[in-house]
Amino acid sequence: MTTSLRHASILGLALIIVGFAIFLVKTISLNYPMSPGATAKVWDFEIYIELDGRNEPARIEAYIPASDVDRSLSGEAYYNGSFGLSLETDKAAGNRKAVWTYRYPSNRKVLRYTAQTLGEGEAAPLPLAFRESEPAVTPFEADVIRRQAFIVWSGNLRQRSADDQSFANLAVKAAFEDRASGEQYADEIAALLGDRPNTVGRLSLARRTLQSQGIPARIANGVFLTDARRRVEIRHWLEYHIGGKDFRYFPDGAPNRFFTIWYGEGDLVTASGVDNLEVQVALSARMGAAEDIAQQNANGRIGAMGRVIGFSGLPVTTQLVYKVLMTIPVGITLLVFLRQFIGVKTLGTFMPVLIGIAFRETALVNGILLFSLLVALGLALRFYLERLQLLLVPRLAVVLIFIVMTMAAITILLTGANQSIGLSISLFPMVILTMTIERMSIVWEETSASEAIKQGLGSLVVASIAYLAMSNTQIEYLMYQFPELLLVLMGICVLMGRYTGLRLSEFWRFRDLAK
Amino acid sequence: MLQAYRALKRNGVIGINERNVNYVGALNKRKLFVTVDDKLVTKRLAESVNIPTPELYGVIANARDMKKLPEMINHPDGFVVKPAQGSQGKGILVVDRPLKGGWRLASGRRIAIDVLKFQINNILSGMYSLGGQSDKALLEYRVKFDDVFGKVSYKGVPDIRVIVLKGIPVFAMLRLPTAESDGKANLHKGGVGVGIDMATGLTQQAMQFDQLIDLHPDTAHPLENIQAPFWDDILSMAARSYDVTGLGYIGVDVVLDQEKGPLLLELNARPGISIQIANRRGMRFVLEKAANLASAKLSTEERVAIAKTL
Repeated sequence: MTTSLRHASILGLALIIVGFAIFLVKTISLNYPMSPGATAKVWDFEIYIELDGRNEPARIEAYIPASDVDRSLSGEAYYNGSFGLSLETDKAAGNRKAVWTYRYPSNRKVLRYTAQTLGEGEAAPLPLAFRESEPAVTPFEADVIRRQAFIVWSGNLRQRSADDQSFANLAVKAAFEDRASGEQYADEIAALLGDRPNTVGRLSLARRTLQSQGIPARIANGVFLTDARRRVEIRHWLEYHIGGKDFRYFPDGAPNRFFTIWYGEGDLVTASGVDNLEVQVALSARMGAAEDIAQQNANGRIGAMGRVIGFSGLPVTTQLVYKVLMTIPVGITLLVFLRQFIGVKTLGTFMPVLIGIAFRETALVNGILLFSLLVALGLALRFYLERLQLLLVPRLAVVLIFIVMTMAAITILLTGANQSIGLSISLFPMVILTMTIERMSIVWEETSASEAIKQGLGSLVVASIAYLAMSNTQIEYLMYQFPELLLVLMGICVLMGRYTGLRLSEFWRFRDLAK
Repeated sequence: MLQAYRALKRNGVIGINERNVNYVGALNKRKLFVTVDDKLVTKRLAESVNIPTPELYGVIANARDMKKLPEMINHPDGFVVKPAQGSQGKGILVVDRPLKGGWRLASGRRIAIDVLKFQINNILSGMYSLGGQSDKALLEYRVKFDDVFGKVSYKGVPDIRVIVLKGIPVFAMLRLPTAESDGKANLHKGGVGVGIDMATGLTQQAMQFDQLIDLHPDTAHPLENIQAPFWDDILSMAARSYDVTGLGYIGVDVVLDQEKGPLLLELNARPGISIQIANRRGMRFVLEKAANLASAKLSTEERVAIAKTL
């Protein structure tokens, strides 16, 4: 094996592998769909706040979903009215707050925060910082009675458990148990829950109990993505981490998908200086193009890569141009295959692919008819011009002008006859047609009519195949959504460039030597 | 299909892809192509090492040269017009003799001077040149071909194509014009290719349009066992062509003139592969053998001697 062959093989294979690797990452781990038309459910999430101004400085703080966590969140928007908005981030707790302020608000005001999300599932991992946090060990230090109760209660749990895992199970269960007075530990639980025998209070107790054993735990607050409603109830659950595993305890039963808004025991919205505060959380679901959602929602470096290798950042008109342009390499690769492996003869190297692009506008049958008609008429003119003995460039110009005239005539005639194909002919590449005619007439004269017709037909066949490939919606979608496939095509062409075997047509050519 | 593939493989038949990658691409440096792509350069190089070529009557490179056309072509025995950078015999006009104020072409057609000028203008504008760039027209001595191939030629001039690998002639073929090829010896136009035994210079099997034949399609004369005259000279010219061009894989086209003997017509850096059919033998094993034997130290005579053993 020569060095150049080895070099070409390595390069070709490397290009194919890199292209496919990016493709696989995008399809498998970033959930880009493989075919066009796939959809996914997106949730529009809204926090809606209404309030009455009291003509004194007002401050409204609302937890909003943190954007730096490992989940999808896009299209955030704030409707502030006349309020000033500032964002506060609490990295340690993993919270983000929108703070709206106004000096002298009067009458009714509305504030809104909206975003889109795919939500989270139970499989979503808890952040590393949380897993490794070292919680405070002794709660209730200030309150002697509660402290005493806690020691009794947690001591009992410890006694009944074998390890952190079973301890946590018992603690969570016990925190949500109602015990009639007189039962064991009923007094302790009542003391510990104090004035908060509700879900948050019980979750808080469970959290403290777990933390006292050195288990990272926190209360998460959010919504369940079950159905779309104007008023969605805020749900609370416990998240903890034991022995390398993440756990979530949902007191109301685990949902399919949920969406975390904030962590801790605070309220969603706190306000000062206002009256009649009303808070609503709304959810509505809609179907979106799966590829857009996958692209928007992909996280981290790999997700960013998916956004960089792509056209979604371009204006829509440019995107449409690239939708077509990206399919051309497919046609070119096919052309290379047909030439190097099959041995189809064509007029000009890339002419058939350009004709194939023109077929996009005319559709296949009409395209072939129009192309043949124009080439036939042009050839007739070209043979007549041969007698006039014109110089090369002026002769080409005459043929080109004739082609334009013929195209215009066909358009006008067919449009008059209510045939819409007439319009599409104007998109035929006239310079390409002119060169085709010139080349064909030279082959006709220099070699033979049959050779010229053979090459003309070969060009049409390649153009048709290229057109069928380039206009295929699946191929168009794949090339547009996964531009890295260009690397694969390039690799294939590099490898084909070193193909030294016989072409299919050469089996026929050397048939007498094969006997 | 698989059987045909095995047979072709066993025979060592190479296709266009292999020729392009392993021979033309690997052995012919791009910058040396000019020595064969421009026939004027080839002619000058050949003359520098005493390889005989058809006499040059004149070169037309622009409109001013065109004024000198009448004196350049003032030869009662006719002349040949060819583009300096033409390929595959495109754009070549063979003029037999003056005829009624115009000229008679080898094909028998009569042309007037303004048709001739038009043809030359086409050449100058690059209609026949490889990249379409502007070109020169060469006016040359018309070869009066040796009668030895008279019975197997129909009009036009027969020539001998020798494939040379790194200075060693490896394959040879006699190319004969036919009625179908319009008096031209190009195979793709319908010329007949006749394999030549490298050791003796005797013709062997023949082919037309890639199929084996026994008789000339127009003269019905058997094509086998004709001795090519000046065989050693032809091999020597072919071998020396490598020295002046530096191209490792070329086709050398030699024509036999009644008076002047073998003349170098042109060199081709991308010689065709139909020669395998004419010789009823694939090229691969011969080419590999020659590549192993080739060395810069060999003299022309040694290389000709090797050629006869392949």
